[in-house]
Amino acid sequence: MSKELLKIENLKTSFRIKDDYYAAVDDVSLTVNKNELLAIVGESGCGKSALAFSIMGLHSRATIEGNILFKGKNIANLPPNDMNKFRGKDMGMIFQDPLTALNPLMIIGDQIGETLLLHNKNLSVNGRKVKVIELLKKVGIPRPEYTYNQFPHQLSGGMRQRVVIAMAIANNPELLIADEPTTALDVTIQSQILDLIKVLKEDSHAGIILITHDLGVVAEMADRVAVMYAGQIVEIADVYTIFENPLHPYTRSLLNSVPNSDETNSRLHVIQGVVPSLQNLPREGCRFSDRIPWVDSSFHEKNPVLHEVSPGHFVRCTCYKHFYFPHESKEEKQNVIS
Amino acid sequence: MEIETSKNPLLLSKVEEPAKTPSGWRIIWRELVRDKVALLSLIFLVLITAFVYGISLFLDQEEIVTVDLFAIHQPPSADFWLGTDYGGRDIFGQLIIGTRNSLSIGILVTVMTGLIGIIFGMVSGYFGGAVDNIMMRIVDFFMILPFLMIVIVFVAIVPKYSILSFSLIMTAFLWMGKARLIRSKTLQERELDYVQASKTLGSSNFRILFTQVLPNLSSIIIVAMTLNLAANIGLESGLSFLGFGFPESTPSLGTLVSYARNPQTLQDRWWIWVPASLLILVLMLSINNVGQALKRATDARQRRG
Repeated sequence: MSKELLKIENLKTSFRIKDDYYAAVDDVSLTVNKNELLAIVGESGCGKSALAFSIMGLHSRATIEGNILFKGKNIANLPPNDMNKFRGKDMGMIFQDPLTALNPLMIIGDQIGETLLLHNKNLSVNGRKVKVIELLKKVGIPRPEYTYNQFPHQLSGGMRQRVVIAMAIANNPELLIADEPTTALDVTIQSQILDLIKVLKEDSHAGIILITHDLGVVAEMADRVAVMYAGQIVEIADVYTIFENPLHPYTRSLLNSVPNSDETNSRLHVIQGVVPSLQNLPREGCRFSDRIPWVDSSFHEKNPVLHEVSPGHFVRCTCYKHFYFPHESKEEKQNVIS
Repeated sequence: MEIETSKNPLLLSKVEEPAKTPSGWRIIWRELVRDKVALLSLIFLVLITAFVYGISLFLDQEEIVTVDLFAIHQPPSADFWLGTDYGGRDIFGQLIIGTRNSLSIGILVTVMTGLIGIIFGMVSGYFGGAVDNIMMRIVDFFMILPFLMIVIVFVAIVPKYSILSFSLIMTAFLWMGKARLIRSKTLQERELDYVQASKTLGSSNFRILFTQVLPNLSSIIIVAMTLNLAANIGLESGLSFLGFGFPESTPSLGTLVSYARNPQTLQDRWWIWVPASLLILVLMLSINNVGQALKRATDARQRRG
């Protein structure tokens, strides 16, 4: 058995808008190994969540092309009934907004118990309650037997996110997808939740996909990082390489945009322009070229592909070789590369 | 972690009760207490229902609707509390039986249209796409059918009318509004994350529909059904009044009021039609009052309590 848990090959997820199909996720290939945390970063609307939903098979009206191999079995376009055998058992998902991810009319205990009921048929009612309370304890809820009977609206956001995590890990899934698990929470709770995810990973050796747009979180948590832009992965490498030696212009711009306390320069770097909307995405050439207009268009590839620059480090398009920030001089930059 | 079910201290220790937040019933009760008219209406409704169903157990419909030529058009007296009609039949007995019949039909039609509407609307709204399209066109088709005309035809061709067959006919043409309402709410609920979250746990669609979405729709279902009850009783009375409902052998509130179509009865024999008319009026008002209170209870912005 290989270490490969999830292997996505040329995934393309398209949505229909006014009789035309637009790919929100385009030609994405990646792998997640056991006991590995893969972070997916990118701006809002770049297809991170669409990718996560594609893996879980939650899109009801999208066409999915390509392969999603989970433990060697292709689960792309699987009918819901077959999918339900995996979902909740072998793969779990943590949602972005814990305020809406819980059913307002069900007590916490029943919501977590549901997935146990579905995948663990020989568990007695009492056994299930014990398991749920155990899970609540595991995710750090102070009075689990009390919370068991509470409704979601009686809990704070952080507590609710813990409940959502407890639901996702109830059956010890091998793959956990966390879709911006900390976006809706304040900073202190964020760090607690991230610590919790770390602990869970150490306990269960599951593969985790962490979707985020917080580079601090990535540096803290990830083993490998995939950077997404406009539906494509533009750079994928292990976390040290991404931060030490970022190559793609987008990755470098992102890292350059992070406020740095050491810097005396008072102005933050801002990436020019906006993320193109799904309907206006450039379908040809380098999708990032519009936002770095000072780089000569001849440096971009016609059909950018991922190039392996060093083992395990892939970059899309060749423009990275010629990229420089406007405030740097062109010559200086090219010297660095060569 | 190893936990033995039998020896687990968590289960043996007395779990303290979570702090009480107002439950659904409590909110409704508070609303009713604030709205005295609705509270009175509810008490009246409960009393009249209990009274009508209770008394009618001791009354014999056959006996009441039997013509008695020696007692035609009697004014109210000790023998006939509310007098008699042109067939010498006791109006009081007819009123009790009639109210019972009207209420039964109202409740039956409301429940049946509710069931069809809920299932149809939820399936249509939840699955969406082609399913939704086809199901909504079926609704549209039923909407354009001339309800009254078809009921009249049915009255002509169905030989023996019973409460059940009449309810079925009414149900066949009254479920569409419910289906549309439920569909639109389901469309909203379906997009919420808890539905997706439930999917990631491996719940099947039908499980999500009936254990997750349905409870979240319950408030509007209760309100819509209550308000519909009044409408359905009114509709039955209206049809009977026009002569398309029950024959005189099966009294209902509508048949009693329809005696007032005779000008002489209208002018001189008030005891035949006034009680039934008043009862219809008060019943409608009461049900609507309670319905409005329920409606406010489901919407935090409109609550008085």
